[in-house]
Amino acid sequence: MASVIYNNVIKNFGNVEVIKNLNFEVKDKEFLVLVGPSGCGKTTALRMLAGLEEITAGEISIGDRVVNDVAPKDRDIAMVFQSYALYPHMSVFDNMAFGLKLRKTSKDEIKRRVNEAAEILDITHLLDRKPRQLSGGQRQRVAVGRAIVREPKVFLFDEPLSNLDAKLRVQMRAEISKLHQRLQTTFIYVTHDQTEAMTMASRIAVINKGILQQLDTPQMLYDHPNNLFVAGFIGSPSMNFFPAKLSVSGGKVMVDVDTFQVQVPDALAGPYKNMDGKKVVFGIRPENIHDPEFAPPNIHGEKVSAKVDVTELMGNETFLYLVNGKNIFIARVDPRSQKRVGDEVQVIFDMDKFHVFDVETEEAIR
Amino acid sequence: MTTLSTQKPSNPISRFFRWFFYRSRGDSPFKTILIHAALIIACVIAVYPVLRVVTISLRPNDTLLTTDLRIIPENATLDNYKEVLFGSPEKNRKSDFFLWIWNSISIVAVTSVISVILASISAYAFSRFKFPGRSAGLVFLLTTQMIPAGMLLLPLFIMIAKLKMINTPLGLLIAYAVTAVPLTIWTLKGYYDTIPVDLEEAALIDGANRFTVFTNIILPLSTPALAIAFLFSFMGGWSEYLVARVVLQKNESFTWPLGIFTYAQQFTVSWGQFAAASVLIAIPVMALFLYSSKWLISGLTLGSVKG
Amino acid sequence: MENENTFRRYLPTVLWIAALTAVYFTLNTLISPYADGITLNGKIVSEHVKELGGFLLGIFGSIALIEIYIYQMFFRTPKDLVSKIVTRTLQVIVAIAMVMVIATFLETTDLFRMGDNPIGNFFRSPITGFTNLKDTLISSGIATKDSATAVAGVFVSLLLLVVFAFIHFTSVPRNSRYGLAYLLILPAFLGVLFLIIYPFLFEIKLAFSNASLGTQATKNAQYGLQYGWANLVALFTGSVAKDAKFFEVLWRTILWTVINVTFHVAGGMGLAILLHRPMKLQGVYRTLLIFPWAIPATIAAMALRNEFDSRYGLFNILLGNLNTWLTNVSHGTASIIGIGNMFAWLAAHIGPVSWKQDPFWAFVSILISNIWLGIPFMSVIILGGLQSISQEYYEAAEIDGASKWQQFRNITIPLLRPVLTPAIVLGVVWTFNKFDIIYLITQGGPQEKTDILVSSMYKAAFSFYRYGFTAMFALVIFAILFLFTIFYLRITGGLKSATE
Repeated sequence: MASVIYNNVIKNFGNVEVIKNLNFEVKDKEFLVLVGPSGCGKTTALRMLAGLEEITAGEISIGDRVVNDVAPKDRDIAMVFQSYALYPHMSVFDNMAFGLKLRKTSKDEIKRRVNEAAEILDITHLLDRKPRQLSGGQRQRVAVGRAIVREPKVFLFDEPLSNLDAKLRVQMRAEISKLHQRLQTTFIYVTHDQTEAMTMASRIAVINKGILQQLDTPQMLYDHPNNLFVAGFIGSPSMNFFPAKLSVSGGKVMVDVDTFQVQVPDALAGPYKNMDGKKVVFGIRPENIHDPEFAPPNIHGEKVSAKVDVTELMGNETFLYLVNGKNIFIARVDPRSQKRVGDEVQVIFDMDKFHVFDVETEEAIR
Repeated sequence: MTTLSTQKPSNPISRFFRWFFYRSRGDSPFKTILIHAALIIACVIAVYPVLRVVTISLRPNDTLLTTDLRIIPENATLDNYKEVLFGSPEKNRKSDFFLWIWNSISIVAVTSVISVILASISAYAFSRFKFPGRSAGLVFLLTTQMIPAGMLLLPLFIMIAKLKMINTPLGLLIAYAVTAVPLTIWTLKGYYDTIPVDLEEAALIDGANRFTVFTNIILPLSTPALAIAFLFSFMGGWSEYLVARVVLQKNESFTWPLGIFTYAQQFTVSWGQFAAASVLIAIPVMALFLYSSKWLISGLTLGSVKG
Repeated sequence: MENENTFRRYLPTVLWIAALTAVYFTLNTLISPYADGITLNGKIVSEHVKELGGFLLGIFGSIALIEIYIYQMFFRTPKDLVSKIVTRTLQVIVAIAMVMVIATFLETTDLFRMGDNPIGNFFRSPITGFTNLKDTLISSGIATKDSATAVAGVFVSLLLLVVFAFIHFTSVPRNSRYGLAYLLILPAFLGVLFLIIYPFLFEIKLAFSNASLGTQATKNAQYGLQYGWANLVALFTGSVAKDAKFFEVLWRTILWTVINVTFHVAGGMGLAILLHRPMKLQGVYRTLLIFPWAIPATIAAMALRNEFDSRYGLFNILLGNLNTWLTNVSHGTASIIGIGNMFAWLAAHIGPVSWKQDPFWAFVSILISNIWLGIPFMSVIILGGLQSISQEYYEAAEIDGASKWQQFRNITIPLLRPVLTPAIVLGVVWTFNKFDIIYLITQGGPQEKTDILVSSMYKAAFSFYRYGFTAMFALVIFAILFLFTIFYLRITGGLKSATE
């Protein structure tokens, strides 16, 4: 069982900087998810930890040991690949036993461990089959099983669910979470799907353009994004952004979005008191925009008028696509709401849950 | 029960027709017959000349020259085979057949093993590693195919003569071994390229090193390509005549193509024995080749030859 | 369970051994009564095995030594300054010795001469030393005359291994990015260098010489530009073998190549398309159609030569029968004006031909043979290409309203290009150089009228012994092929895939 530390890690492919100075620690027994858009360097970061890519500069340690020059086989890790990478010429049993055989584990021990893992994953009846005789979900389980039997210090997952259909993905998500609780080992999991990240992780590291944007628990990331990228990336549908200007007069802080103004509640106005005239990006999540009829009581609501462009009825909730001036934004309102396309409506912004970002640095101001 | 049997055509001929014209792509029966006719004609053209060799081998010596076109001749006999294999005491002649076969097998087997080993290893490097000189090396290997084998014959001959290897299997072995290597490297590289790198990485994490990855993952997965590579270099050397003629000049060092030619060069041309020897030699090789033909298409990934 | 597995694992091996033993004993009992008539015997076999085994051991042993040497260059670094100096010195000495051995080898095979001077003797010293070592071993009774080379080889290898062991124990491992790749391609590269590049260089040198039987090959040959020029002039103005002129043969070679490759590709494409559609008996057809490829080429050539016999060959029998039939029909239909005359005309013109004496028919006979031999290979290649084209494209084209011909023209051909281009290039090069069929069927006759460039070259070398001339001839052929390939790749867009 071990922690993992990235210390000033840099990776270049030729002249292209893929990872720029990565620094973070994965705690022992933690389930850390690396999330970011395609090509952001998250997979490269994982592959460097696995020893499949050279590290250009910096250090990666597993436990107390710097592993930069350690061969993958000696790092005591196991990895589940996106393509599963099951050996096509070996049976499921042999696939799972391969790593143990290479380590000269005794036959009885191999059998015991493979059977145990197969039972956990409910694939005992598949052990004699070849990978091509399995369905996608079964292959996925075998790939996980191959990692489990090794009893490694750290489990690595490289987008393992992206080849599964939606329903199976939800199911496997729960199973991987269960597995983590059961094995009590460090898990590092790479995905581009923020829902996967939110549902499984004990902590999430958001990466963009080779830079770590924020590393925190899912709830903290959602409630307090550090910057514009994290705010937009986490949450679905994503946060609404409005180009805006702050105006301060008589201790009251207003956010001026050109076509409408909203007031910041006094309790939250502190950081903005001396920023009169500053250009900012104003952000608010769709679920914090309410239909006045069904708005919760006791919030600092600010009325904004808009025109309904599109409605999406989901059954348990309704998405309204609203237009105000040049701005288009989404509200996630109560399903009983009667707003229809073309209606001129008033919605309520819950000003207890808003975000303000600096236009230049894109950092959150709070 | 009765209703079922009325639905199925009980007549074997109509059953055959239904089976034969089982609709695929909705072709009309006429078109299907036309296609089969074309293929049957092609098959006859492909097979008949080969069968004629069998026919000649079965003819008794006195009816060798005949305009008969039957496949099994009148008075068919195995005398030619007996003489080819075991010589003829009456004519006081011994049979060199086994000697030639042994010479051929030993030379060609060693050659094929060497060239497949060399090619499979270096093709792996070309397929998986990026290193300075990689693409230059690949182009270079393709260029060597433009050097005609007949063209290198003269310098090779002089070289082999200077090394005093004329009339030894070693001389021929040298000449055969490497001419096949460049193309084998290309074919194998093309095949290796289709094996996902993920598999190797998974094995590396599972505890394998580069060597065990190669032996446990790459080699088993490329069996078809390796079999084809071996088959090709074996077939190439097996029936090679021109280089052998230059390097081997003594009867006891002959490979079978040279040996079999002696039947045609004797004072009285012994077509019967020539044909019998041909059949004996061809049958095992053809069986091997036809057996492995199911791998031919997957193993010959000439299509992956890209710049 | 465990026992069952072990049993099952070794069962095939046991069965194989049993089967092979059975075959051996059966053959033995069958053959032994006739053993007197067979020249092959155990003594020949064991000598052969010894010879080949020693050769293999030598080859793989030397490759292993070279690999260790290179491995240490890439993957070991000396611990301290002293060991560094010693290691580098040892490595340089080994490298120099290697160069000296290679130089001596090149001299033995007459690529160049170092002469009988101190420098030459210095370069020859490793080999001389090796010979002396052998003599010493023989005179001291350690080795017999036969085993001296092997024992001396082992001795030298041990010496090298000691050096390598020293370097190993005074150094630490280090990482190398490309080392492994180079180690892997090294053996094949050495082989290609030794057997293709070296002879090629040697050929270039020969091309500028007057080497022939009269000069005892390279022994008394003179070298110089003027000899190269003379060879070139002789090639283009004189006769290439006996009587034939260069351009006449070149023209025939081009004809030979174009006709062959056209028929190979067209025939292969036709068969591949027929075989590609799903239908009954597909496997049977495929197996039968591969026959011409599967039969050893030498046997096929000899058999076909037989069939071109003027009286007893298949072709003339068939043509004779056809002629008889046509004559009979023309007699039967003589009363019908037009048709009767037509059959009479046909009967007068279709009949047995003299495949051996008439140059035109002799050329046709080798063309028929080579086309017959070459179609299966091409059809297998094209079939592989066809199978890699997704059926969806055709479905999409069908929905778009494309006819079968348009589908073939606009989908099959462009998507087959990555397969066809290299197949055609290699097909042209191989056909251009393929003369074993010609040699075995017509031997270039009658009067060299069926010779192509390469078979003329073979004759010039091994029938007329004009070595220097042949070498220049070979270079010219290589140049032609090289230019063709570059030109062809240029106009067809090279070896790119269809989407590039």
